[in-house]
Amino acid sequence: MSVRALWIISHEKGENVSIRFSRRFSTVEHRAKRLAGSWYVAVPEENTVLQLLLTEMGLSDSNKPYVALRDDCLHCQRSPALELRVDGPAKGVLWPVLAISQGPLILACLPLVDAPAEPRPPLASLLSVSQGLTLLAGLQTFLLGAGGKLDSEGLASRLAMLPAVLLQVCPLGTPLDVPLLGAPATNTVPTPAGSQKQPAWKTGLHRGRAVVNVALAETVRSMQYGNRSRQDLWDVFGTVTCKCEVEGVLPNVTVTLTLPPNGSPLQDILVHPCVTSLDSTILTASSVDNYDGSAFSGPYKFPFSPPLEPFRLCSYTSQVPVPPILGSYQLREEENQLHVSVTLKLHESVKNSFEYCEAHLPFFNRDQMGVVDVKVSFGQLDISKEKNLLVWALGQKFPKSREVTMEGKITFSGPTAGPTDPLCTDLTAYIKLYFKVPDMTLSGCCVDQHSVQVYSSAKPRIVTSRELLSKEYFIWNSTGTAPVSSGLLF
Amino acid sequence: MAVNWAERISAFSRSPSRFLSGTTAEAFLAELLRELRDDRASYSVKVLLLSPLCEHPTVLCPSDSVGEETALELMSVFAQCPPKTVQFCCHLLLALTSVLVCTSCVSSRSRASQDFLDLLLQIAQDTSDLHGDAAHRSLRATACDCLQELEACSPGLLSQRLELLGGLRQRESSRLHQSYAGLQTLVLRNAVYQLTQETGAGPEHLKAILGGNTSVAWEAEQDSGLMNNKDSAILSSVILGPMGTVPTLQTGPDCKELRSVLSSLLEESYLLTPLCQAALLNRLTELVAMVPGVPPAIFRAQLLRLLGTSEVGLLHTTLLMKCAFTDSLFSAEDEAFILKRLVVLSQHPLLSTPEKLFYMDCILHFPENRPIGCSDGDETLPVLLTPQLALALVPTVFNDSATMLARLNLLSLVYLEEGEDGEEGRGLAYLYEHLTSLLHIVENGGSREIVVTFFRAVLLFLSYFCHVERYSNSLTEKLCQLYLHHTYLAPHLINLADQTQDKLTESSWAVGLLKALQGVITEAPLAQLTLQDLSRHLKMLARVAEEGEIPQHTTLSFLSSVITPSSSSLCVSGDWRLGNSLLGVCRRLLVHPSLDSLLIPLADILQHLTCRYGDTDIMDHARLYYSLLTTLSREKLASMLAQDLTEGGRQVKRRTLSSIMAEGEGLTSALTIHQTEKAIFRLMKAQSEPRERTQSDRESDLNQNETENSPGEANVALEAYRTQFHDPRFASEITLNHQLTHVEAVDSRFDQLFSICLHFSLTDDHYDDLSDISVPCLFRDRPCPKVKLTLKPRRPHPTTLHASAIFTTHDGLSWHTVLPDIHIAFQQVFMPPPTPPTWGRGGRLSLFEGLWDEMSSDSREKDLTDCATSLFCCQLKEAALITLVEKHFLPYLVSDLSEDDDEFKVLVFLPPQSHMLLKIRSEEDAVHFNIATDNWQLLPHINSYLLTITSCQDAALGHL
Repeated sequence: MSVRALWIISHEKGENVSIRFSRRFSTVEHRAKRLAGSWYVAVPEENTVLQLLLTEMGLSDSNKPYVALRDDCLHCQRSPALELRVDGPAKGVLWPVLAISQGPLILACLPLVDAPAEPRPPLASLLSVSQGLTLLAGLQTFLLGAGGKLDSEGLASRLAMLPAVLLQVCPLGTPLDVPLLGAPATNTVPTPAGSQKQPAWKTGLHRGRAVVNVALAETVRSMQYGNRSRQDLWDVFGTVTCKCEVEGVLPNVTVTLTLPPNGSPLQDILVHPCVTSLDSTILTASSVDNYDGSAFSGPYKFPFSPPLEPFRLCSYTSQVPVPPILGSYQLREEENQLHVSVTLKLHESVKNSFEYCEAHLPFFNRDQMGVVDVKVSFGQLDISKEKNLLVWALGQKFPKSREVTMEGKITFSGPTAGPTDPLCTDLTAYIKLYFKVPDMTLSGCCVDQHSVQVYSSAKPRIVTSRELLSKEYFIWNSTGTAPVSSGLLF
Repeated sequence: MAVNWAERISAFSRSPSRFLSGTTAEAFLAELLRELRDDRASYSVKVLLLSPLCEHPTVLCPSDSVGEETALELMSVFAQCPPKTVQFCCHLLLALTSVLVCTSCVSSRSRASQDFLDLLLQIAQDTSDLHGDAAHRSLRATACDCLQELEACSPGLLSQRLELLGGLRQRESSRLHQSYAGLQTLVLRNAVYQLTQETGAGPEHLKAILGGNTSVAWEAEQDSGLMNNKDSAILSSVILGPMGTVPTLQTGPDCKELRSVLSSLLEESYLLTPLCQAALLNRLTELVAMVPGVPPAIFRAQLLRLLGTSEVGLLHTTLLMKCAFTDSLFSAEDEAFILKRLVVLSQHPLLSTPEKLFYMDCILHFPENRPIGCSDGDETLPVLLTPQLALALVPTVFNDSATMLARLNLLSLVYLEEGEDGEEGRGLAYLYEHLTSLLHIVENGGSREIVVTFFRAVLLFLSYFCHVERYSNSLTEKLCQLYLHHTYLAPHLINLADQTQDKLTESSWAVGLLKALQGVITEAPLAQLTLQDLSRHLKMLARVAEEGEIPQHTTLSFLSSVITPSSSSLCVSGDWRLGNSLLGVCRRLLVHPSLDSLLIPLADILQHLTCRYGDTDIMDHARLYYSLLTTLSREKLASMLAQDLTEGGRQVKRRTLSSIMAEGEGLTSALTIHQTEKAIFRLMKAQSEPRERTQSDRESDLNQNETENSPGEANVALEAYRTQFHDPRFASEITLNHQLTHVEAVDSRFDQLFSICLHFSLTDDHYDDLSDISVPCLFRDRPCPKVKLTLKPRRPHPTTLHASAIFTTHDGLSWHTVLPDIHIAFQQVFMPPPTPPTWGRGGRLSLFEGLWDEMSSDSREKDLTDCATSLFCCQLKEAALITLVEKHFLPYLVSDLSEDDDEFKVLVFLPPQSHMLLKIRSEEDAVHFNIATDNWQLLPHINSYLLTITSCQDAALGHL
């Protein structure tokens, strides 16, 4: 359940690589040596680790098209654990090296194998692997922030805090917790001595007015082909985020999600570890099962004792009967001209009030756009500065008819070539929709203010909200070949 | 100063070995400890200073005793820490733990480690911070962490403290209860494990341990020492695969005490962070698995919470629980539910890629309640994973590489089981279609990552479905077309052919692919061929030519058409690389089994290259190949150019001289100097061979019986002697005889070595640089070659030489190796005085007297300030003294040994200009060595030399 070493590396697409932080846990290494016996492979020095790791991640020698060590087709990287093949006197394979990479940052660690080294135990039998993954993810969030945006000064100051942070969360190689994201924002006081034990994940106690904030956000993804032989796909997943400012060492709060009558049940529910108990019926519905009409459809009760910081109480997926916006996209190529025809239709069940709604039509593997003779029935059409993208802004509302169209011709006669994409060749093309609808969910799921129960003396203020967001919402050109995106197609 | 330390510490942790090449571990450790005790240093710097001790304790403390001393030092630093410096104190505890554990002080229960344990227990019990002193509480937390690590590294260390730890945990209401819980659980787990290893241990032992009843628990303590040394099994998880056996402790159904501890821990597990919760549950799972008296149902109350969790660690613990308890805790419905859950999580939009990959791995190692057969850690599909369920995990072009490959692997397993025919063949058809989509992306200019992923996917697909000819043949065709349009993929395709040949030994797919590639290359119109394409084609054809089963006529006609002037300017251009690639193909054809039928066209090509190619080197090589081909029999040709299959089936080409240049990638390996892992040979002092007598020795012997032609008076002798040194080169070198021998370890690669070039480097400035020495060969089964080391001293001090060598092995590779250091002792610099050849003993005696007077005269007139005299005394019997003189001083003796003179005079010359004069005489009480030298800096060396030889003599005689 421990890790032998930890590395934090920054790079720019394989260039300017440097180890920004590293830590070896000597006592864990001591155990590793005893456990592995003659199979023991020592952790090499920093530079060697760096080189091996980059090779294994395919980031080394980025200017060379083929490097045998890096590109051998036998090295099939399909597990989260890498093998570092150490050469030289201490020859051997260092395994399992976990590495997560986001933007210019790579975080890696080497979990202890607390099982006989040969034959190599399955990854799934080593608890240190999931512990290592959790630690790395926690450190990544700490370094880059929840949004994953990197600012080099912020990063440097976070890196400088790491020794103190590790003293708390992983002093001797055994991860105890993930770092907190900054100090808790609310008024907190240290715990008084009392009979009630304070949860280890709660750094202090809230003092002041009780406020409970519950935000429900649903995301819809879609692949529409406009093709009879291929079924359109869409799915919805939702998250419930809470911020609870409630007094007490272990206050009880219950949030209840409800569905409208005939709403399809919430599936694949995952809950935060602060949820105290679950009814088994809540967990039964799964997206990989055939839909069973008799399934439990709420209300979904989540009793929990909140931590101080905002947290994701639960997530779910849902199978809604129709996509919010149904589109059709048709391209015809004619004498250096592309005929474009688009229709977008907002489903009647969706609230016609957007925060924003835009359709993007990128064109790859062609020259820049020359003459654009395209009319839209509604909204505004812009051509991107780079002249390879049409942006159709629909604004806050669809027209009364709930249907908008675009029709016209584009020539590609610009002076320079536009961007390339190996996937979108010839008539393989897509429209990508970006929209956000406040105060609605597709599944119909909602948190009623009155259903939030807080068992404390003072009457809390309760704020709830919901919204619908699009992500990976594609409408493919029905006259071209569109790539398969899911096995559920057949 | 602070900046300096930050830099030094970071240099150390970057590369301890490089850092320590500039200093020693001992010195650096001393520096660190001094600075830690320094009151002026800031505590933030001191925290930094502890990191080398935390991260590399064994580098700084190479032995247990150094570890012990260092720990005592650190504890005294701790004792003097002001109470406010909590952060530093915490780091100090970590450093102490690291040093004591890693130097095995803990496992040997050393003094310092006992003191440290007491200190930690004392801190852990000190709850005076109850009123919210968070800083002090963090010291307590760190102490608990250290205790836990000590117990983890030395299981059983705290088994007698269980009651104490349990009490601390129960009383603690701050967040710290988590630290106590983790500690208590680990100690309990280890204690129970130890009981399982004891014959006859039963419920009363368990009870005693839990109750802190040491009189009964004492036995366990006795054994725990043994346990530490016995094996590392206690460190391993006891939760094994379905076929593993768990050590058990028979307690009967009634173990109330244990149950109550477990329930209390489980009840509060919710209050722990997910990471600690997972660790705790895992420890408890092990514990319950070892005590059959406690039913696994004790976990049931936690299960729903765990099954619904979004935390990877908690779900993982649940899987391990399932592995340990199977159907005694998990029903068939639970099993189905968990598997579906894993499928959902493997593609959940909110999870990170590594997490999803991990869940996919869990599916392939799913702990089934009733596994069919023993899987031995291999990937197997759980029975419940239906093709329908697996549909959620089909690979798509939108996946990242690792996810795509993981999904392809999983679905391949699913469809392999399903079979290829009829309705069910659709799955396989989809996988093939997916491969084609990837191929299109590669074709349309996919990135390097996609290219590599594509070839990995192809190998994966073939490893499952190579036998399905419909797809494997079609794949061959598609790959050929892909290559024709993207010749830069040549190395990828060659790699694919190599690996499929290696991995799928029963399949001939690789040969089929190569043959097809030969087809497309040789049939494509030459008109559009660029030089770049040609060079890649030649690489490919060279690989094709390695296959004996593939006919090579088309290759030959292709070669001949590219070099004939009418169609190409290739020969005129005289590009060396292309010429080399051409020869590479020819060379392989020379050893092709069908050579007989290729003879004439191949000879034509070689002759054409010999006459027409625009590069002399290529022409020469072509001529060589041509003559080999036309003059040698097939057998001889084959043995000259043969490629032998060695080392695990991979083709390792023998690098004969003729192949060096036409070897493509092999060229690099032949031209690179490889580094040996260990020393291969060393230089040893030549055994028992007397120092080679110099010319003057011999001549003076000759003169012995003749009339002496030497100066009678001391000062005249001295004058004449000194004149010789006007030439600075005079008598300035010493020659040492050594033998070059193999070291013990046998590595047959290095049995025969050639062209050895020895290189020496100095470790001080007492000598001039040495020139390199060449040794023609070194064979293990032949006498060792002699090596004469010629040293030119600046100061005749003892020294150490570093030596390295470059040599060639019989396979043509060049190697660099480091030899063990060569130590030059003080006495190895000794020489008889280089008196003029005509002098006899009398002359040398005069010289001795002259020198002696000069050195011992009090009047330090001229520049004789370097002169010194000294006296060395020791106890030696008369006989022993004579033996000693004979053994060590005979070549330097100026007085006559046989003469009944009771004083021995020894005159030793030490190049370039120093002398050591000895008058050795037995006095009443002892033997006196009167020493005179013209270089007082030699005195310590002289002294230690005399000490060595006289004590040796002592011992030798004492022995007699």
